[in-house]
Amino acid sequence: MTKCPACLLALGEGDYPGLATHLVERADASDPAHVRWLNQNLTRKKTEPTDLVPALHRIYDLGPGGIKPWIKSRFIARFFGKVPHPFVAALQHPSRATLLGYVVEHQHFLRQWVRSCSFIMARTDRSKVVLYELDNLNTEFGGFGPSRVSHYELLLRMGESLGVSREEVLSTDPLPATRRAIEGWNEIATREHWVSALAAMHSLELIANRNLVAEGASVHYFDPSILEGSEIGVAAKNFLREGYEADVLHSEEARPRGRMCPGTRPARRGAVHVLAVDRPVRRLSDRPPGTRGPV
Amino acid sequence: MKRNYTGCAICDSTWGNLWEEVEGERMFFCCSTCVVQFRRLVERIEKETGWSRIESLEIAGDRRGRTCVARSGPETIRARVMFDPEGELLRFEKLAPPPT
Repeated sequence: MTKCPACLLALGEGDYPGLATHLVERADASDPAHVRWLNQNLTRKKTEPTDLVPALHRIYDLGPGGIKPWIKSRFIARFFGKVPHPFVAALQHPSRATLLGYVVEHQHFLRQWVRSCSFIMARTDRSKVVLYELDNLNTEFGGFGPSRVSHYELLLRMGESLGVSREEVLSTDPLPATRRAIEGWNEIATREHWVSALAAMHSLELIANRNLVAEGASVHYFDPSILEGSEIGVAAKNFLREGYEADVLHSEEARPRGRMCPGTRPARRGAVHVLAVDRPVRRLSDRPPGTRGPV
Repeated sequence: MKRNYTGCAICDSTWGNLWEEVEGERMFFCCSTCVVQFRRLVERIEKETGWSRIESLEIAGDRRGRTCVARSGPETIRARVMFDPEGELLRFEKLAPPPT
């Protein structure tokens, strides 16, 4: 099945002419999501559907390496290209405002993470996947006791260290862009094949994968030197270090063609979803530093 | 207002079919987000300069950041701008004017 990367409309498998027609029709209606996708991925010049089809083939051609490098290369281009994503740029040497923005928005993401991974567990027929997700959920949300607390707890502690109580963080509504992103991820988790959801969700963990620099990323998620000096506090170091270490394993292990995924077709859809939700992801990360909470 | 783009007033895209009046002139935009961006940009330039009218506006760059040069009579302002996902102005940093 082919999915529209802007709205997830389902089309027939390999129906790139149908996808091109749909994209052009929605663009003619000035729909921002479709226009934006066309502008950023194909061309800013209005084009006939038939002329878009070869470009769509090129985008979705997995190439000889299969889906794993396909996802990575696109992720690197989106977030770690020559001009890195603004949030990645801000996180290289983060201000207090940047870290606070991270806290108040990311808590919503982690709560959705639990829901998404739970749907994967509920739908899969593979015990390896269940065990993987359980470990992941404990790492991200549940924790392994006082000696090894979750990312969620480390995030809240980072907020407290910056002067914002966890009550205030937890009672803060998401920004509109964060809400849209969460809705998108929820839709994928509830509607799509579990392999698609697995690929879409865990590919997002590539964001903190420090090995990407060796594969063409222009920068790391943050400058690793900030984990050493006094530029950021201990709580912020603890939070960033944990993700920096855990997400290499998670993002490498769960992506398609790994041990847990039975095939590439649903996984490829999942990967397309990663690109489809890239816009809300970017919106999440584009949150202006310091626009909420004391700075 | 003289502009350097012939497509969408913000991004030069020729997708879309949106016409909106800005500063008394009907302009083409690819989508509603670009309309908001353009309006906010014009408002901010006029607030920064006190101009009642922008005679020309040149925009360069992409979604990761744009620079603009606005002129009114003999005066010029140059700035780096960024917008949020809703099209609202995130940053407006004045830059040194372009060499004449």
